Amino acid sequence: MRVDVILPSLGDDADAVAGGTVSFWLAAPGTVLKEGDDLLELTTDKAAFVVPCPASGTLVEQRVREGDRIAVGDVLGVLET
Amino acid sequence: MIMHASTFPEWIRRSWPMGKEVKEVKELLEGLHLHTVCQSAHCPNQAECWTRRTATLMILGNACTRHCRFCAVNPGTPPPMDPDEPENVAEVVARLGLRHAVITSVTRDDLPDGGADHFARTITAIKERTPETTVEVLTPDFSGDPGAIGRVLEASPAVFGHNLETVRRLHPVLRDPRSSYERSLEVLRTAAARATDTFVKSGLMVGCGETAEEVRGSLEDLRRAGCSVVSIGQYLRPTPKHFPVAEFVRPEQFASYEALAYELGFAFAVTGPFVRSSYRSEDLMRITRDKVAHAG
Repeated sequence: MRVDVILPSLGDDADAVAGGTVSFWLAAPGTVLKEGDDLLELTTDKAAFVVPCPASGTLVEQRVREGDRIAVGDVLGVLET
Repeated sequence: MIMHASTFPEWIRRSWPMGKEVKEVKELLEGLHLHTVCQSAHCPNQAECWTRRTATLMILGNACTRHCRFCAVNPGTPPPMDPDEPENVAEVVARLGLRHAVITSVTRDDLPDGGADHFARTITAIKERTPETTVEVLTPDFSGDPGAIGRVLEASPAVFGHNLETVRRLHPVLRDPRSSYERSLEVLRTAAARATDTFVKSGLMVGCGETAEEVRGSLEDLRRAGCSVVSIGQYLRPTPKHFPVAEFVRPEQFASYEALAYELGFAFAVTGPFVRSSYRSEDLMRITRDKVAHAG
């Protein structure tokens, strides 16, 4: 089953931290990942954040590129679970 | 693997929350028209704390009458006080099942008592609703008014906190002109002199261009003012419009500040890159009480 990896809300009430910039991917397409493995790093104004893999599976697609500005709700990639 | 440089050093890294807890807490707060400093300050610990179902509630509105250069809370004219807020805070504390509740506020120079009575009523409401919950307040300076400080202490919070924020030299650079280093020390001194069963706590941000010697000076000032608990964390710029970070202080320097704080006689010190004034204060309360009981 293909599962979209979506960036969930941090809970912030301002859009300033509702997203960030993709620093780099920590998993290449084709990588077999376990739930909780590091997927990518993004930076906000205040800190760097590692986005963990939400489920176990194979990363089949990266939908965002390094340097892209991303927002809460964006699809980051696709997993085949 | 190609490595790309991150804007932040490796110790300024958090995990992005993927669970449903953040959404649940957000909906609960919105339903009761409450604010948290976690949201307003864009705190990087928010996900971790909310996932543990803890939050620092911000009363008296979400607009501040002061304009400090490090702070993300909106400056401006605050809306009228919500008379139901103390009860709503007590409600959220109960629903989240908090054993330790931290309440802070914006500065309200527009109110005669600076919001002290509202603080006291909030503490009382929590105690009535969930008597087993300990309450920590992190207050503004109330323009140094001893009556306002006394009003908050009458409600017997477990912790009275007021942040010194930065070292003496940087105070005029970082803080609103209506705030001052001496006034903040005076607030703490007044609280410590009047407190009977309340810990007096303060916090410093580092990475703003201060020296280790200046941090020592501030810790000594805090001890002289009667503070027994201190937190020291990295200043992180909330937006590019705010005061720039001068330095990412290394974890070993934080460890050295912590050792120094104990050397100077603090009962509890918590330091680290992601330490914020209320970060993990539930643990802090437990350990401090154990220590004091032990010493007694």
